[in-house]
Amino acid sequence: MIKTNTKSSLLGKNSDIRTVVVVTIGFVVAIVVAQLVMGLVSEGQLSYPSFISSVNILNILMQTAGVGIMAMGMCTIMLSGDIDLSVGMLVSLVAIFIAKGIRDWGIPLPTALILAILIAVGLESLMGLVISRFKVESFIITLGGSIAFRGIALLMCNSQEVTLTGQLNFFKTNLIEGATNTQGMSLTLPIYVIIFFAIFVIFWAVLKYTRFGRRVYAVGSNAQAAYLSGVNVKNVRLLSYALNGLCVGIAGILLLSRVNVGIISIGQNLEIDVIASVVIGGVALSGGKGNAVGVFIGVLLMGAISNAMNILRVQSEWQYFVKGVIIIVAVTGGAISEIVNARRALRLQEMEARALNGQKELQDTTTSQ
Amino acid sequence: MSNAVLELKNISKTFPGVKALSKINFDLLPGEVHCICGENGAGKSTLIKIISGAYQPDAGGRIVFEGNPCLLNPRTAMELGIQTIYQEHNIFPHLSVTENIFVGLEITNKGGVINRGEMRAKTEEALEFLHCKFSPDAIVGELSSGQKKLVEIAKAMVFRRKVIILDEPTASLSMSEIDMLLDVVKKVAQAGIAIIYISHHLDEVFRIADRITVLRDGHKILTCDAKDIDEPTLVRNMVGRDVSAFYSREYFTPGEVVLEAKNLTGNGVKNISFKVRRGEIVGFAGMVGSGRSELMALLMGAAEKHGGELFVMGEKVDFKNPSDAIRHKMCFITEDRQYTGLFLNHSIARNTIIANLVNRKTLFWHPNEDIKVGNEYIKKLNIKANDSSVLVGNLSGGNQQKVVLAKWFNTNGEIFIFDEPTRGIDVGAKQEIYKIMVDLLKQNKAIIMVSSDMPEVISMSDRVIVMRNGVISGELSRHDISEESILQYSIGGSKI
Repeated sequence: MIKTNTKSSLLGKNSDIRTVVVVTIGFVVAIVVAQLVMGLVSEGQLSYPSFISSVNILNILMQTAGVGIMAMGMCTIMLSGDIDLSVGMLVSLVAIFIAKGIRDWGIPLPTALILAILIAVGLESLMGLVISRFKVESFIITLGGSIAFRGIALLMCNSQEVTLTGQLNFFKTNLIEGATNTQGMSLTLPIYVIIFFAIFVIFWAVLKYTRFGRRVYAVGSNAQAAYLSGVNVKNVRLLSYALNGLCVGIAGILLLSRVNVGIISIGQNLEIDVIASVVIGGVALSGGKGNAVGVFIGVLLMGAISNAMNILRVQSEWQYFVKGVIIIVAVTGGAISEIVNARRALRLQEMEARALNGQKELQDTTTSQ
Repeated sequence: MSNAVLELKNISKTFPGVKALSKINFDLLPGEVHCICGENGAGKSTLIKIISGAYQPDAGGRIVFEGNPCLLNPRTAMELGIQTIYQEHNIFPHLSVTENIFVGLEITNKGGVINRGEMRAKTEEALEFLHCKFSPDAIVGELSSGQKKLVEIAKAMVFRRKVIILDEPTASLSMSEIDMLLDVVKKVAQAGIAIIYISHHLDEVFRIADRITVLRDGHKILTCDAKDIDEPTLVRNMVGRDVSAFYSREYFTPGEVVLEAKNLTGNGVKNISFKVRRGEIVGFAGMVGSGRSELMALLMGAAEKHGGELFVMGEKVDFKNPSDAIRHKMCFITEDRQYTGLFLNHSIARNTIIANLVNRKTLFWHPNEDIKVGNEYIKKLNIKANDSSVLVGNLSGGNQQKVVLAKWFNTNGEIFIFDEPTRGIDVGAKQEIYKIMVDLLKQNKAIIMVSSDMPEVISMSDRVIVMRNGVISGELSRHDISEESILQYSIGGSKI
């Protein structure tokens, strides 16, 4: 699996990623063992666990691409200390706009796609503008945005689904056409998975190597200190939203190409999955902590969890429960390790202070004598 | 004194790195107005926080209330009848006077129903006693600052408190309101209530004090009847320190003017004019709240300028935000490093490079470069950390302050504003910071230093500008700098 291959040098000294990686490896091993045991029980012999078959791994990538792209934008926003609850409905809006545009309004496909991305960037920037200039809570503004986008989306399609006839199939082009695995099952690696990887690499590089990336972290960690250190806090926050709009626009196109139907449910509750992936990937809700690699792993982990539960034929009701518990455990674990670290630091400082006071008292008594 | 309502015996309080109070003995008689005087950091606030129960004293001290030894926490202090009225209003602006007084302590009938009539009557009685002109039903948010203070005093009257602590009660009041408040305080004391009154304004102190206690560096210097002491003697007792508290530095001949303010107005300060030259430290002294930090924010473009002109290296500038100021080689080491200076959950490297992003032209570089820059400063400034990937939150106060310095040194600044450069750091690190500041002067940089630490101001400054109530109240050249002269200008008493 890709995520288990992640080199330790890539992780650096970031303990959050380490936690996610450990959880991920543990999870994969657990599922493989479960499959082996179940195979042994039902068929009386060891068989290759389907969870780690190449077909299934590609499957997981296909299922997570949309959420993954959105998670990169959300990661930037959350690192700068904000949040965006509107991405789900914005995806629906984008998808419905494209479907309606190319089917009923006669907009040429390329124009429709560009317009869709521009709309997403525009709407996100608008929210970013309000949030950064008037210093309003991003939670509230994007919640309002989400509701409004739902309204616009439903108005555009008259609350009906807009079925396409495969106009967006380009994005599903199989790059490894004809390739099969050892059992002879054909493999698919659609273009949109590559787009997901490309966007991940771009965001990883932007956050890690550029001036803007460093400023995003600074704003999320301490906005006041960032301002006094010459960071244009308002513009950094605005730009994070604009970048997120770009991600949402692209994700909307890809999700539409997968299902071929412009429908409101395409993005429904997607923001929950996106935020969950980002949080599992080690980005602090308070901002300034985490990175794109962690989020990438978080996305794949969330995807793998759903996929594994489907393979193991876990009832869908239970799937929700398990996912929820995993999020809670993962994040609480991170918080606990943070508290432990903070305590250790505090104890160190106290010891220093005590040693110093002791010295001073000694001086006082010797001088008074 | 057996009839004292409150006695403190041998009270000390130690914080990490500093002894705030040392073996204080203090007594308070019913019906007296007892003023506590001292400079910033003398221990006044710590003392009242111990009396109001917010802090616990070190082991070995005793607190006796009406003859009974007791342990004070905020709740028992309240139950015993000690009420503290802080500088900031502790009120609910949308509630009426009556509701504010009885909030949390409502009088109820047997069924648990609030008895509004009785509460209102009691409030009215107290307001009448204090000669207040507003009704018990007035909404407190609509009252003046002075009237808000009266509401809090009325509360003490209603609940028959025995001790009232007033911390800088006149800070935001007009002259006529101050007169009114002082009359009320006297009246309350005549009713047998003991009052602890803290104020920087010595004229007020002499108008109402029965007794005065002077604190200095956490020690009690004296307690005496107000009529037995005059203002010059009082000031002399507030100042005067050990020579060891002073740092002796090298002086250089100041060079060209690099910063000049002409009638600068805005952010709560008015008509500020001064010049800063290369190779000198201009100290800004004054009481807390005199507008020094506000002025620094204005210089850095972090607050809006309403008038006047600012020249940096001869160029007239109009900073819209701090990044403009950084481009003009200005540096701002803020007062509160944790809230406005550092990114505690980031590495030393990240903290070091952040301010210089303004000057950096490249868009794309490897984080290892940041680490390298950070490591350089670890060596240069003797920061105690293995390497610059260590999180700043894990460093001690002195080392954190050095990281702030590293951040600004990395911008290649020329003009350094130090706001309380050594607050909350230990003696050893203090000396190091002073040495670093003198090194800056050697490199022909200019320094503006805001400090409430008297020895620091005196031993580090080439010149001292004293501020009071948002204006410059005096400027002292190096040979005129003394604790007396600085205090004189900052509290505005008569000539000594």
